[in-house]
Amino acid sequence: MSFVSNSPLSGTANTGRLTALRMPATVALSFAIIAIILAWSLAPQFFTTYSPVVGVPADKFLGPSFSHWFGTDHLGRDLYARVVYGTASSVSSALVAVVIGVLFGGLIGLLAGFLGGWVDVVLARLVDVLLSIPKFLLAVIVVTAIGFETINAAIATGVSAVAFFARVTRSEVIKTRQATFVEASYLSGGSRWYILLRHVLPNASRSVLPLAVLQFGESILIIASLAFLGYGDPPPASDWGLLISIGKDYLKWPWLVYAPAFVTIVTVLSVNRISRWLRKTD
Amino acid sequence: MSNAYLTYAAKRLGQAVVVILLAYVFTFVVVSILPGDPITSVLRNPQNGFSEQEIAEIIAAQGLDKPVPVQLWNALSGFLTGDLGMSMRSNRPVSTLIAEVLPSTLILAGAGLAVALVLAMLVAYGTRFVPKKYGQGLLRGFPSLFLSVPNFVIGLVLIHLFGFQLGLFRVINPDSFWATLFAAVALGIPVSAQIAEVLIANLDKEAEQEYATVARSRGIGQLKLFIRHLLKPASLPVVTVIALTIGELLGGSLITETVFGRTGVGSLVQRSVSTQDLPVLQAIVSLGAVVFVLVNLIADLLYPLLDPRVKILGGAKRRPTTTDEPSLGSAKAVNP
Repeated sequence: MSFVSNSPLSGTANTGRLTALRMPATVALSFAIIAIILAWSLAPQFFTTYSPVVGVPADKFLGPSFSHWFGTDHLGRDLYARVVYGTASSVSSALVAVVIGVLFGGLIGLLAGFLGGWVDVVLARLVDVLLSIPKFLLAVIVVTAIGFETINAAIATGVSAVAFFARVTRSEVIKTRQATFVEASYLSGGSRWYILLRHVLPNASRSVLPLAVLQFGESILIIASLAFLGYGDPPPASDWGLLISIGKDYLKWPWLVYAPAFVTIVTVLSVNRISRWLRKTD
Repeated sequence: MSNAYLTYAAKRLGQAVVVILLAYVFTFVVVSILPGDPITSVLRNPQNGFSEQEIAEIIAAQGLDKPVPVQLWNALSGFLTGDLGMSMRSNRPVSTLIAEVLPSTLILAGAGLAVALVLAMLVAYGTRFVPKKYGQGLLRGFPSLFLSVPNFVIGLVLIHLFGFQLGLFRVINPDSFWATLFAAVALGIPVSAQIAEVLIANLDKEAEQEYATVARSRGIGQLKLFIRHLLKPASLPVVTVIALTIGELLGGSLITETVFGRTGVGSLVQRSVSTQDLPVLQAIVSLGAVVFVLVNLIADLLYPLLDPRVKILGGAKRRPTTTDEPSLGSAKAVNP
């Protein structure tokens, strides 16, 4: 996908600087999109003057136009405002899921890979068990057990990602542990904990980062699916998945599905593109 | 079949049994120990109108008055003898409830897998024949695009375009041919993206191997090179990938059935979640784990037989993945 930066057309100063950073234009675009999404979630009031909750009943089911970019819904609420105000919850819950997956998975993988022996055997079985339950079903029973709320959907999604990060971290730790510089550190008198924190952890985390970014995109999708099934916060919350779920009852006015779906897809695409770029530059 | 293979097979079988048992215990722990106590909240919910005596009866019948380890022991021994317990809401055996909806889901999942395979092969093999100028990039972009689309959106778009606009099927009649086909397409597309991703990576890797260069230097055509040398080594690892996507198919059918209004295991899960019918959920999730583990076991046992290059070393098998080092497809690995 690096064809854009190599193309002879990139003559402007802007793309020149991008080439200096060795960042393909699609990656720069992805970062720009993520920046907008983050801005939406931090300060939604700067991006729309409409209320996401109160609508004008006379204006219901208006198609997309200059005054209503994404049209209006069945209560006459501006859909763009609803998407913008729903961003915070969609993004932060995906973040929670990634943090849970990386922290707990990373801890399990670190212990299993670094200590080895029976700890490794026990933890490997635990990871096998987590992997054996289909991911989405696992998220569904966890969210059923702890209650239908967006934050719980995020926790459930995080739990379903623990096994994956445990595996990756474990194999990275084992790889690093056998490296020559770690052996040298042992010989020059480094303690186990020093080596773990100074050498193993930084090296493992470098390859976990792109995967964490990838998991962020996947978490957005899973949390949207849980919201779509009604396992997140109820309306008037406006998580992206919930918006699509409401829109499906009004397919005669298709923008109610297409607009929030478009935002979701573009966001996840950008996140995945960044992740792929991070993996390649490593 | 060598001795090493039999040892490996026995070891993998043992592992699979252990994992299935532990997965059952794990789901049991999740549904019974986590805070919230869904059981009493359902039974005491005034909307359900159970009298105190009925509640006591249900609790006794489900064995909920016993300590948790005893409950677990009873549930586990029931699970091993094929007794999945009674539904808390409809007073019928869980196995009957599942058996009723299973055929519909099997049809959907089977058709979805077929769609996924055909689509993945078309896309991946297409990248070898469509020149760069005429949209090879589009084919290569297919996996990353469809891994970024929520699968319910694919279903909704299909319903909108083909159901509403073209009138090919009606959502009111979800078991008709067209409705089933489109449900299978919605379920299959995300899965096909995963398979295509691996296939494309494998094809690219094989095309760079020395044997491919040698074949090209002998003046072999693009088509012949693909059929004789690339197709088989690049496609075999897909056996393992398909096994891994079974979980995706099971989870995806939950959503697809909701979107298309089908009855099936997915809609049973949905109903059991909303009524907090824990025995049904516990049974479906652990059966999901059983299916997933068994399918992967079969794939792992089959793979060394299909691909003679895979060596079983001391019981540990090389797992073929995209990140595999060239040793899997080394220069010696020209197919006979």
